[in-house]
Amino acid sequence: MGDQYALEAHGLVKIFSGQRVVQGVDIAVPKGAIYGVLGPNGAGKTTTLRMLLGIIEPDGGTRTLLGNAYPRDISDRVGYLPEERGLYPGMKAKEAIAFMGALRGLDWKTGRERAAVMLEEAGLGHAIDSKIKKLSKGMAQFVQLLGSVVHEPEFLVLDEPFSGLDPVNQERLEALVIKERDRGATILFSTHVMAHAERLCDRLAIIAGGRRRFEGTVADARALLPMQVHYTPHHDGAGLKALLPADAQREGEEWRFTMPDEGVETLLVRLIEAGHGISGLSIERPSLHDAFVKIVGREAAEEME
Amino acid sequence: MSNLTRMVRDTATVARRDFFAMVGTPTFLLFLLAPLLMIGFGAVGGVGGAMVGKSADAKERIYAIVDGATAQRFMAVDKQLRPLFSGDARPPELEIESPAADPAAQAKTLLKQDKHDVPAVLYGSLAQPQILQRNKTSRSARYLAQIAEQVVREQTDGLTGPLSKPDFVQIARQGSSIGGKSATGFFAVTALFVLTLMLSGQTVGTMAEERSNKVIEILAASVRLESVFLGKLIGMYGVAMVFIAFWGTLALLVGSFLPPDTLARMAAMRPAIGLPAFFALFFLYFTMAYLLLGTVFLGVGAQASTPREIQMLSLPITIFQMAMLGLASASVAVPDQPVALIAEIFPFSSPFAMLAYGARSASWWPHLLAIGWQLLWVALSITIGARLFRRGVLQSAGPKFRWKALLGRT
Repeated sequence: MGDQYALEAHGLVKIFSGQRVVQGVDIAVPKGAIYGVLGPNGAGKTTTLRMLLGIIEPDGGTRTLLGNAYPRDISDRVGYLPEERGLYPGMKAKEAIAFMGALRGLDWKTGRERAAVMLEEAGLGHAIDSKIKKLSKGMAQFVQLLGSVVHEPEFLVLDEPFSGLDPVNQERLEALVIKERDRGATILFSTHVMAHAERLCDRLAIIAGGRRRFEGTVADARALLPMQVHYTPHHDGAGLKALLPADAQREGEEWRFTMPDEGVETLLVRLIEAGHGISGLSIERPSLHDAFVKIVGREAAEEME
Repeated sequence: MSNLTRMVRDTATVARRDFFAMVGTPTFLLFLLAPLLMIGFGAVGGVGGAMVGKSADAKERIYAIVDGATAQRFMAVDKQLRPLFSGDARPPELEIESPAADPAAQAKTLLKQDKHDVPAVLYGSLAQPQILQRNKTSRSARYLAQIAEQVVREQTDGLTGPLSKPDFVQIARQGSSIGGKSATGFFAVTALFVLTLMLSGQTVGTMAEERSNKVIEILAASVRLESVFLGKLIGMYGVAMVFIAFWGTLALLVGSFLPPDTLARMAAMRPAIGLPAFFALFFLYFTMAYLLLGTVFLGVGAQASTPREIQMLSLPITIFQMAMLGLASASVAVPDQPVALIAEIFPFSSPFAMLAYGARSASWWPHLLAIGWQLLWVALSITIGARLFRRGVLQSAGPKFRWKALLGRT
């Protein structure tokens, strides 16, 4: 096991009612990284996260969290925001955060003090002494998020943290994730929102059908697909198609094709010499979404949208 | 920090949350004062019943149709015998009537009168009195016969005063009587059962809260399920202690106002092990009974996912408790029979049966053994409950038990 990894898992398997919902997933999360787990619904993301945290035991495979084979033994060093949010409705926001800290070994007094500061910083100062049942869903969700980091964990697991949050709170959450990373924490989160993953993740894994289909950086994922060229000729005319690569497709005035292996320079010279000229030209890197579609298939990708 | 210390810390965190969540709500006041309603209804019913009974007693009369000097002796003997009877055994007031022309008809008229209830009427010669009675084995009729017998004896021998003048010397019992020990045992077992029935049953629905509001995921990720179970149990036990402290204090205050003869009767119910030790045992065995039964209820209730399922589980739980009371009561009734030993050993009836044992035996060591045995079962029940919860609700086998991990450091 390398010291550079906060979490390593090999061949994780989970079987529910005879069905293998996770089929040998490998994950290695470098220390200090923001690591995303992407996948369509039912891909096994949550089950994988729960196994990594020791909430449920795997039926096969091994995992090492912060150097320990039994994640529950070091739960004080870990923070967790589950997909199914849950707080005691009768508790005050400050108490709820302090309680979650106390479960992770933080004394109540410190927990309350930190909770008050964190709520103020998050713009929820007015809700410090409000009961959870009086808060909006988004606010309650944010309270739970603060509860998962109040004890300053070394490793933070967020399961679909952005779901159910309005754009303002999504922005707050992104800021919080970055702040936690800057503090030195390693963050593992699952999401189905590509934009968040693209903006935040240092590395990511794509899971589908209980298997890991991809592991690497966002750039690595994008590199799975060639760049796309968008070309608009100045003079459209006979013979243009013959000069373009075989996969060129016309969409209105514009032609789209895959970037040739040798680049576009030679092609552009030929097009100019043939008198077609260049009215418009752009080269686009494929998005993470495009890469995702390639990896898991269009049908699974559409499920996430 | 050792894992054991951490487990204690986690348990305390969960217990604290549950305790304050329960005690800090207006609902708790209702829970605390619920017995007041029971006592109130009981008192109203009891007072009403007693008034009806007393009123009926006041309307009862027995009659003796006798004349002159005999009537005076009859009254004197009645005055002499009457103090021997107390409470419900006391005969109805005696009325003397002078004989009319037809005493038999007069007696029947008195028996049938509407003014009083008349269970018996005596008439005719005292040597062979005729006694009309309402019931075949009327005690009032036998009482009239006994007065007649006494009056005839006095008249026959010509003696009217007491011939024997006894001195009464009181020597108080040092220990408690066999009957007193048995009564103490039964009373204590019943009290322990009622308390456990009322309070440990509360644990059945406590996991439902975490399941319905999804907090269970937070708890399961942060602490061991055994800590969650034990914490919930201890939290609810704390609530039970508040309840007992409140009602115990109230009972002591009320007890100080009880009539002296009632207090004297209660003093006769001294347990063999001594009163202070018995109170300590009562507290210890309540704790054990609460933890043992509470763990079972918590474990069973944790499997339920809806209030309807919890309601459905209440019946088998109550039947289980009644079975434990039956077993423990048998150990009080027949302490020398094997059933008593079974009740003392079977972990879920053991606290009740061992409390009864404390009432009849002064030995200490069996209690130490029993408490150790019961604690072992508390631990076992919590472990089994947590594992069942993990399998049934979280759908996962638990991690392997590791003594090294429990005693090791993180």
